[in-house]
Amino acid sequence: MIAEIGTAALALSLAAAIYSIIASVIGARERDSRLIDSGRMAGLLTFPLISVASVALLAALLTQQYQIAYVWTVSAPDTPDFFRITALWGSQQGSLLFWSLLMSLFAFVALWTHWRAYRPLMPYVTAFTMATLAFFLAISLFMENPFARFWITPGLAPDAGVPSYTLIPPDATAPDALLLAQTARGLNPLLRHFGMIIHPPMLYLGFVGFTIPFAFAMSALASGDVSVNWIKATRRWTLIAWLFLSLGLILGGRWAYDVLGWGGYWGWDPVENAALLPWLIGTGFLHSVMIQEKRGMLKVWNMFLVVFTFSAVIFGTFATRSGLVESVHSFAQSEIGIPMFLFWAAMTLIAVYLILLRWRQGVLKDEHAFAGILSRESLFVLNNVIFVALTLAIFWGSFGAPILSELFAGTEITLGAEYFNLVTAPLFLVLYLLMGIAPLAAWGAMSFGRLGRSLLRPLIGTGVALVVVYLLGARSLGALVGYGAVLFAAIVALWEIGRGAVARRTATGDSLVMAVIHIFGRNRRRYGGFIVHLGISVIGIGVIGSTLYQQETQRTLRPGESLEFGGYTLTYERMLSGQIADDGRIMDIAEMRVARGGADLALLRPRYDFYPEAQGMNTQIIAGAYSTLENDVYVLLSGFENGDGTTAPTATFKFYINPLINLVWYGGIVLIVGTLISMAPGAQPATRRVRADADTRVGAAA
Amino acid sequence: MAVMTESDVQKTAAPARGLGGAWAILLLVGVVIAVIGLALLRNQQGQPTDGTAPDFTLTGLDGTPFRLSEQRGRIVVLNFWASWCAPCADEAPALQALSARYAVSHPGRVQFVGVTHSDEPDDSAAFVARYGITYPNLPDTRADVSKRLYRITGVPETFLIDAEGQVVGFFYSAVDPVALAAAIDPLLAAAS
Amino acid sequence: MIRLAIALILLACVGVSAQDSEVPITFDQVNVIAEKLYCPVCPNETLEDCQTQACRQWRAEIAEQLAAGQNEQQVIDSFVRRYGERVVAIPQDAGLRALSVVVPYLLAGAIALIGVVTLARWTRRRTKGALAAAPPLKASDDSYRAQMERDL
Repeated sequence: MIAEIGTAALALSLAAAIYSIIASVIGARERDSRLIDSGRMAGLLTFPLISVASVALLAALLTQQYQIAYVWTVSAPDTPDFFRITALWGSQQGSLLFWSLLMSLFAFVALWTHWRAYRPLMPYVTAFTMATLAFFLAISLFMENPFARFWITPGLAPDAGVPSYTLIPPDATAPDALLLAQTARGLNPLLRHFGMIIHPPMLYLGFVGFTIPFAFAMSALASGDVSVNWIKATRRWTLIAWLFLSLGLILGGRWAYDVLGWGGYWGWDPVENAALLPWLIGTGFLHSVMIQEKRGMLKVWNMFLVVFTFSAVIFGTFATRSGLVESVHSFAQSEIGIPMFLFWAAMTLIAVYLILLRWRQGVLKDEHAFAGILSRESLFVLNNVIFVALTLAIFWGSFGAPILSELFAGTEITLGAEYFNLVTAPLFLVLYLLMGIAPLAAWGAMSFGRLGRSLLRPLIGTGVALVVVYLLGARSLGALVGYGAVLFAAIVALWEIGRGAVARRTATGDSLVMAVIHIFGRNRRRYGGFIVHLGISVIGIGVIGSTLYQQETQRTLRPGESLEFGGYTLTYERMLSGQIADDGRIMDIAEMRVARGGADLALLRPRYDFYPEAQGMNTQIIAGAYSTLENDVYVLLSGFENGDGTTAPTATFKFYINPLINLVWYGGIVLIVGTLISMAPGAQPATRRVRADADTRVGAAA
Repeated sequence: MAVMTESDVQKTAAPARGLGGAWAILLLVGVVIAVIGLALLRNQQGQPTDGTAPDFTLTGLDGTPFRLSEQRGRIVVLNFWASWCAPCADEAPALQALSARYAVSHPGRVQFVGVTHSDEPDDSAAFVARYGITYPNLPDTRADVSKRLYRITGVPETFLIDAEGQVVGFFYSAVDPVALAAAIDPLLAAAS
Repeated sequence: MIRLAIALILLACVGVSAQDSEVPITFDQVNVIAEKLYCPVCPNETLEDCQTQACRQWRAEIAEQLAAGQNEQQVIDSFVRRYGERVVAIPQDAGLRALSVVVPYLLAGAIALIGVVTLARWTRRRTKGALAAAPPLKASDDSYRAQMERDL
């Protein structure tokens, strides 16, 4: 019953999406507003329909319908209900349906809220969002159907694996329910962690979010309205997508740090990098779009950026699910690789073609065409150059070089952290410097002298901060240069906020605190942006500290034995082996005491989990960590020997000291706050001005 | 904001000159897409389960070279394994027993050969000694034969090659000796 | 005679264990090398982090080579010789290495060139005086542009 409902809902939503595309495009070309409205209706309908399908799958998971192959794959009788719900996106079929759900939701909101304000653009917006949705729905319906069920057909050998079918085959009987329940796979142990639960939804929200600006841009090209309309409509969408993508990346790193047990948070794995690529281009787009809004310049460039952001999103999904390159993240080699490739290729080529066409027709002409060599515009161009260069470099390292090497040189190569750090570090350095200089540069043109004068005090501040950093122990040139650039960006952000607040206080007599609140309220975009830059700087400090100054060692210890490491005393107290958790896993927990200077700081419990029921990945190494602002004392249990009569039991541990690593997570929080401030709707400027004038008059009179 | 319709666009805009180079962008994008597509196709190819078995030459653990095409006239059981692989250890005694059995019942007609996938030769030699394997075992540390030619996705995987050098059987994971024998016997019967 | 034999045997044992205890290889010594090598069979995991039986054997191999007196580069070279370029984070072969490292900088340079050309066009227009630097705001854009001016 549930499977039938789910499949039917999927089929109906695919039909609606396809109809929506056709009606919208024909309606736009024929100027037929009834067709256009009908297309919009169909587009709006996809969301409730896919919601029905999603609720059906959720119901199947919660009521343990193991005949549905997906439920059997991702859950088992002993799976807690909470994980049953999160299993909705735990594996390929469910996550594709989840993607479609989010896509239809975003399309629904876009079609609902922007219909009247941007009417000329909307038909093609409908068409492009529905085209993307239709593709994913088609994959879900025909190739990776989450509602496929196990059926035993007459010709099946007794001990053969039972295949799953979307449509019920003739003469089929259902397999024994008890047998299904007993053999159910259960959720992959790696997915039972908070970070892993929330990381895919965040990433999908980011990916899907970027589809809306893309659809608007394509609509601008297709309809001919290449004014700044499409940018105005999508500014908040871009910020929302960017926020979720940033969150998804940070949470992925946090999950890797907590659960994957290798002491780091970013492995430069190709699939990780594939999620980073849209973030990089997307950030470049976020910035250069301001130039188009303010000066009407870089129109063609912005089109390319938004198209390639979307292309990177689809490429990322394609690379993850097709096994294009080997990765720890790869889903099993699936058959959707070729359809995804074709969709990615088609969308990218069509979009690039449209841009070139309009460019050729002279439609995408810059309104102004002047800027000084030293100006906000030129620094934004440099900013974009760096982001695109980073994107290309990381794409080259993850996909380009390995693929070319294997295809044409016959040699398989691996490009790992060493390579990426070498290639991207200089580019990130320039980016931080730009974050510091650009806010101080004027629009249009400015002289070196003026820029120099603006930079003077922030540079002095950076110098002072660097001296402090030096005194705190950072001695290498690389570290000082890195910290210097990052601190410079942070100090400029704080400086600009301070300057604005002081100016306001001088003008209106507000207290400093009120002044800060006021300037944030009136210029959310500008000051929110500074907070985001501050967040990026905090993350940068954390990254430099934890990368350049990480200490590690591996030792075998007997119970009661201590180790001096990084200024800490680590004492292995005892092993609690064979502990059974309520989900059936067997845990071996080591107790490690952390002390410094004689003071007892914490008791860590690094452990080794074994999941007897799970297939494939059935062990996990969970670290014990003592986290402070200064560093993490991070301990992994690598193995242990029980010892027999003659030898003592021992355990082998890996110890890490990760300086400043918690700044990476706190910086993420600052980033979120800054983005939320930027996105917040502001009051109308006109009314604000009147009220302010009234206040000062009253104040003067009093 | 004034709304531009498509016909307005064509009337008011002056075509930008010198944009022939812009189409190079499309070409560039096309080339990148094509290369990725090529890589994907290569990737999607699975193990060779029919057709001519890819030929190779490797030097055995004992130093003797082994060339697949020289085995024409004999049925070849090509088994990919590694010393660190548990199912390989499970199937090793069965494979050795089968090899010995055919050496007695059909001397010189069936050639078992093992190829180690990315395995330290010393560890491979220790494995061979532990299970008393008498048929040749060839270290393929660079995975040129296992990954590039035979596109295996893991170990153990076993290919059955007939006397004409054609792949006629493929066994994924540990081989069931009964099934393997059931596949070899008809080939022997047909040839004689 | 027997006492001599026992003495010789004992001497041999002592000699052997003295040999072993001369160069005890620590985990850290192995890990310094293992973190620069990649597992030949597990995708994108360093030899240090990988927990499989295969990787344990390879780490043991590194320890053996270190005990035999090889230095870091020699160990890495021997792994590359046996398993191919896929086991290192940057290719050792000069040609492949150049391909990997130089190309990103070339790409960055190409993009920088586009940026420079754009900036050159922007600054050139000023001397020609063809287009105004900042034309007056159109009435319909007023509130929006004003917002932009203040925001940025």
